[in-house]
Amino acid sequence: MATSRNKNMNAKLVLLGDVGAGKSSLVLRFVKGQFIEFQESTIGAAFFSQTVALNDATVKFEIWDTAGQERYHSLAPMYYRGAAAAIIVYDITNQESFERAKKWVQELQAQGNSNMVMALTGNKADLLDARKVAAEEAQTYAQENGLFFMETSAKTAANVNDVFSEIAKRLPRLQPAQNPSGMVLMDGPAQTPATASCCS
Amino acid sequence: MNRSDSNKQSSSGEQEGAEIVYVKDNVAIHPTQYASERISGRLKLIKQGGSLLMTWIPYKGQSSSARLSEKDKSLYTIRAVPFSDVRSIRRHTPTLGWQYVIVVLSSGLAFPPLYFYNGGVREFLATIKHHAYLVRSADDANVFLVNDFQDPLQRTLSSLELPRAVSVTNTPSSAAAPSESPSSWTDGETFDRNSALAQQNARQRQKNNDPARDLSIQVLEKFSLVTRFARETTSQLFWEAQGDGFIPNDRRKHDKKTHDYPRIAESNNIQKLPEDVPVPEDPLEFDKVSLVWGKPRQPPLGIEEWSAFLDSEGRVTDSEEVRKRIFYGGVEQGLRKEVWPFLLGYHSYDSTYAEREYLVSVKKSEYETIKNQWKSISKEQAKRFTKFRERKGLIEKDVVRTDRSISFYDEDDSPNIKSLRDILLTYSFYNFDLGYCQGMSDLLSPILYVMGDESESFWCFVALMERLGPNFNRDQNGMHSQLFALSKLVELLDIPLHNYFKKNDCLNYFFCFRWVLIQFKREFEFEKTMRLWEVLWTHYKSEHLHLYVCVSILKRYRRKIIGEEMDFDTLLKFINELSGHIDLDAILRDAEALCICAGENGEACIPPGTPPSLPVDDASMYYQQDDDDVL
Ligand SMILES: Nc1nc2c(ncn2[C@@H]2O[C@H](COP(=O)(O)OP(=O)(O)O)[C@@H](O)[C@H]2O)c(=O)[nH]1
Ligand SMILES: [Mg+2]
Repeated sequence: MATSRNKNMNAKLVLLGDVGAGKSSLVLRFVKGQFIEFQESTIGAAFFSQTVALNDATVKFEIWDTAGQERYHSLAPMYYRGAAAAIIVYDITNQESFERAKKWVQELQAQGNSNMVMALTGNKADLLDARKVAAEEAQTYAQENGLFFMETSAKTAANVNDVFSEIAKRLPRLQPAQNPSGMVLMDGPAQTPATASCCS
Repeated sequence: MNRSDSNKQSSSGEQEGAEIVYVKDNVAIHPTQYASERISGRLKLIKQGGSLLMTWIPYKGQSSSARLSEKDKSLYTIRAVPFSDVRSIRRHTPTLGWQYVIVVLSSGLAFPPLYFYNGGVREFLATIKHHAYLVRSADDANVFLVNDFQDPLQRTLSSLELPRAVSVTNTPSSAAAPSESPSSWTDGETFDRNSALAQQNARQRQKNNDPARDLSIQVLEKFSLVTRFARETTSQLFWEAQGDGFIPNDRRKHDKKTHDYPRIAESNNIQKLPEDVPVPEDPLEFDKVSLVWGKPRQPPLGIEEWSAFLDSEGRVTDSEEVRKRIFYGGVEQGLRKEVWPFLLGYHSYDSTYAEREYLVSVKKSEYETIKNQWKSISKEQAKRFTKFRERKGLIEKDVVRTDRSISFYDEDDSPNIKSLRDILLTYSFYNFDLGYCQGMSDLLSPILYVMGDESESFWCFVALMERLGPNFNRDQNGMHSQLFALSKLVELLDIPLHNYFKKNDCLNYFFCFRWVLIQFKREFEFEKTMRLWEVLWTHYKSEHLHLYVCVSILKRYRRKIIGEEMDFDTLLKFINELSGHIDLDAILRDAEALCICAGENGEACIPPGTPPSLPVDDASMYYQQDDDDVL
């Protein structure tokens, strides 16, 4: 297991983005190598883990997939608090999902820790004919806000693993794996908000 | 058929084709702490089909005490318990006194000690071992684990983590309880007293040099739970015996029953007692252990039986009885279309065929009217109607990914998917403040599947949302109150598990969010979900049975959760992955038992107005504005 070597680390990662942008599909592709045309909507949240190898080190991602609807927004902090990385997903065929992604970026910048690695992902890149958001526009936005950007397709698997590896490379090497709960929700400071956001 | 007759049918304890493999006479229960009071009977092991059953039937007409009536005795009767429901058996071999065993069920509950006045414990265990899987626990030679194929050690440990319904206190009033007048007690106080009594009982054992005294204390505390349960069952049995409840076809005569019948029956009985009877000796007031809980599931309600519930004009004459019937068996698929509208409250039980037909037609045009409100929005209009576009977009995203594995929805241009969309969009106009929220399509899908007709489905959905709407409130208050109640129930029914969650910061119970939000829709296959829902909708034992379902699932996996030291995220992953692996019938039985055990203490855990209770009559207070466009 990854816990035995020093170069191995755990990192909590959260996926945020509009309903239907493809968050769950990206996770499913990354974790299980599958794509389901009619992926059920996410109720509450789902948790997965997957390890990526990086030269001689590994990063075990502890991935929180969230429900995208604004109605459940009050629950989101419980997932992104304490996260080492976030993937903000939009659907390239849907302009509104891009606007929504920007709002997530703002929120994370306002609340999150400055060390958080953020990726902006334009998903459904296989649907080129239906594209509504230009790659350049997203790229520019990402640069201005210190994110890295990629277009992905959960359907064809294009760039999916790359997003995660790229995040892995950018993670600050601070978290030895001996502390298996590393940056996860169970960290001391993360708990109070977790409880408060769910039950207030 | 068989609802009330889990008593009747099994009071004989034996069925045809059964082979008796063990019989022991003079096996007794001590219903009170007085050794002189005992009920003797015959213990049997019966082999039937592939399974081994245990029965214990008290003898007729020879009581050690005048206070133990025939009725009392029948309440202790162990009616054909299959060993698949047994977790462990503990043997007690006191230096002084008789050997006894305690049989602990998988639900965590236990029967009262069975004292072998003629010996035979060893033979009893040997027989079980011969016919069922029995191993001696590695860490306690007196504990025998049944059906345990893995990890007997942990199983033993978990079998000792007994639920405690109330903290056992030594208040003076508990100590003085025997001289108090029975009628002055509320149920809760009685319950406390039972625990005190159990403790007293335990101390007595301690004095008697019982080597297993610590265990006894816990087991006896547990008996207070059982006792509680039994008191209610007792009164229920009483009530049924008073009416003609044993004849199922005679249901229609039962109109005198009220929803609260156990308590009513009980207070009647209390009143019959002479004032000066010290209550500890009153079998109705404590230690009334009936050993049937979580009654076996029954076959679903079918058309013929249903017709018998209706009078000539189509009124349901005894809705309590119908709900009870459905609680224990559900409804046949073909009949759901007719029955669900009642369960959901769309049709009232006392409506006639004609009234319902009229309502359906009125509601149909009402539905069309509301539907037209959004249908008539032109493209131009929609361009300047962001909220509408968003809502429609969200609904369209969700309907195409709702239950697509069911053939009813599997075609890409299925008219049923379109109906899902139309109903949800119409609902979001009918209840504009609540709007559409993810999860609603899950709640609608089985309803449309059952009802078929769009308008009928809509109104049934409306009725369901009357109760579950607050689940989708923006501030999550409906979910919050349910998860809060759930944490209180676990604290009541499984304090070690509660402590575990507390220690691991899992007390927000967010890992049960999906269960509660959409009534376990994602946890069971489609047919099972429908079965569960109709049982929940009867509101028969509790309006909040779903919370007891949560507790019973958690209890079933407590050993794994605690043993593997799951933290919040592992737990959430584990719970999400339980989907498709939960045994519904077993869980429903446990949930019923837990609900009865918790009794009023359980209801007290649930704040008033907690969904699915109907909201207070001020809708404006209830729903917040839909603010989906604000981040
Ligand atoms: N063509 C295409 N469809 C996708 C892709 N990713 C997701 N989808 C579809 O988009 C819908 C929503 O996906 P989902 O992962 O549930 O989105 P989420 O709500 O963000 O979790 C589903 O029907 C997916 O099949 C993709 O890369 N290409
Ligand atoms: Mg999702």
